[in-house]
Amino acid sequence: MTYRVERMTPSGRIALLAGAVALGAILSMPWWASQGLIRDVITLSCFIAVAQMWNMLAGYGGLVSVGQQAFVGVGAYAMFVMAQLWGLNPFVAVGLSLLAPALLAVPIYLLLHRLEGPYFAIGTWVVAEALRLIATNTPMLNGGAGMSLRVMTQFSAHERAIAGAFLAALLLLVTVGGSYLLLRSRYGIALTAMRDNPVAARSQGVDVQRLRFLIFVAAAVGTGFAGAVYFMVQLRITPPSAFDMNWANLAIFIVMVGGIGSIEGVLIGAVIYFFADRWFGGFGASYLIVLGLLTLMTALFFREGLWGLWRRTFDAPWFPTRRTLIHTGRDTS
Amino acid sequence: MHWIEGIVQGVLLGGLYAQYALGMALMFGVMKIVNVTHGDLVILLALIGISFADFAGIGPWSVLVTLVPIGAAIGWLLQRAILNRVVGDDPLPSLIATFGLSIALQNAMLVVWSADTRSLPGGGIQQASVEIGPLFVGVLPVIVLVCATLLTGGLDAVLRFTRYGRSLRAASADVEAAAMVGVNPKAVYATATAIAVGILGFAATFQAMRSTVAPADGPFMLIYAFEAVIIGGLGSVWGAFTGAMILGISQAIGFRISPGFGILAGHLVFLAVLAIRPQGIFQRKS
Repeated sequence: MTYRVERMTPSGRIALLAGAVALGAILSMPWWASQGLIRDVITLSCFIAVAQMWNMLAGYGGLVSVGQQAFVGVGAYAMFVMAQLWGLNPFVAVGLSLLAPALLAVPIYLLLHRLEGPYFAIGTWVVAEALRLIATNTPMLNGGAGMSLRVMTQFSAHERAIAGAFLAALLLLVTVGGSYLLLRSRYGIALTAMRDNPVAARSQGVDVQRLRFLIFVAAAVGTGFAGAVYFMVQLRITPPSAFDMNWANLAIFIVMVGGIGSIEGVLIGAVIYFFADRWFGGFGASYLIVLGLLTLMTALFFREGLWGLWRRTFDAPWFPTRRTLIHTGRDTS
Repeated sequence: MHWIEGIVQGVLLGGLYAQYALGMALMFGVMKIVNVTHGDLVILLALIGISFADFAGIGPWSVLVTLVPIGAAIGWLLQRAILNRVVGDDPLPSLIATFGLSIALQNAMLVVWSADTRSLPGGGIQQASVEIGPLFVGVLPVIVLVCATLLTGGLDAVLRFTRYGRSLRAASADVEAAAMVGVNPKAVYATATAIAVGILGFAATFQAMRSTVAPADGPFMLIYAFEAVIIGGLGSVWGAFTGAMILGISQAIGFRISPGFGILAGHLVFLAVLAIRPQGIFQRKS
């Protein structure tokens, strides 16, 4: 008997095409979109990237972090230091700044992986707080007053728009596309096994500890990338904004409401969060009460999120990772 | 002299942190969950106490007597309505649920009490101090420390010697086996959370008397409680107490080095303990 393994589905092909079109649209934005729209798309891309990295950590790695703002801040500050203080080209600095979260993630993981599940989460928060305080107390970073990216004035608005659009597209390609490629590879099978049951995965030869370490570092780099891009567009950084708890809030909200353990859920959740923030953000505290209660309700009654609900009825994944065995030959025995 | 004074101040500060940490150690020991609203509940209770003292014109000790049962009731309700649904091997649901609740709670307090910092008038006790040798020591911090010691000793005794303590230890060792021999885990859990938040009634009163509270302060208290528990070593209430002392001393000495360095010094000591002795100071390697 002969078999064929198929992974791609029609819905996946359509989604892949739509994704390519979307990336093309983002890249071409500087020639047709307004400054405001470009800024919004870059912000949304950063939200998607931070949330997808948290999804890889919590949804697949079993590593629940409430301190991803540590890497947002470190990536962004590294970019500001290289561009503003060392005089590097800002766009080159964005690329080089990714070294900082990568190098920092190694000792952080080695320290924190000793803590049990929920304590690991609070440990990441302590690290983020410690980094915020270090940034506040470092004269080179201008302490609590923060830094401005004055070097950006050497570029025209159009040049900056091109760079921003390019970085947003690259960010999505690396975080969303990279996650998808990873999940389709043989690591993806190991990750999915780990997501479903770490003990069983270990018994099947998956090196859970090593995989968790790699996921933690990769998520740190992706999150730091988002931080560098976000604050490059903001042109200004302060310790409270860079190491803002809200980065953890939004990642958790997006992933939980959209649907943990799926890339589709992150995209849905990010769009919902982005527009909720846009339309209701002005209500301040009462808006955040609703956001917090929604996160609570999702964790209590609705753990699969919106994508999970959709998937119950429609089997049409945008990012198919499931392998289907298709019988092609005749039984000749 | 400068440093001895720092250490004394640190131990006194540790008394307050021990009151934050006890409940967290208890809940983690029994249910293996962290309640992210732990710090926010300190603030909630403190704000309720301040408003109540203002409204009823009562002194801080009456506030304390009111807040402890209110805290216990809130804890019981929290367990019954939310935490019982998310207790389990997977740490994600309990973390996310309480994380969401923490955001909601902080902002609800912001709506009700505004962002102002408030404190509880103590009728002059805040200013009182006694001279011990060359040092002046505040009366209130000493009361806080004595209270923390009594609470730790009391909790330890309850866990060791009472019927409830036995069922609680049984449930934390193996919840299914405990259920088989007649322990009702949900009741044990509800009582544990009620005790944990009840103790926060003490913490809230003293926090509001010693310094100020504002709706956004909760996360810091959660972090201090957590650091104390980890430094001391999981699973022991005296460990949490000692961890709180070490944290208090680290912060007090840090503040003496530079005012911006105090809190950071606490974080760094926490990370150093994690690097050198991850099982905590008082826990034997398992």
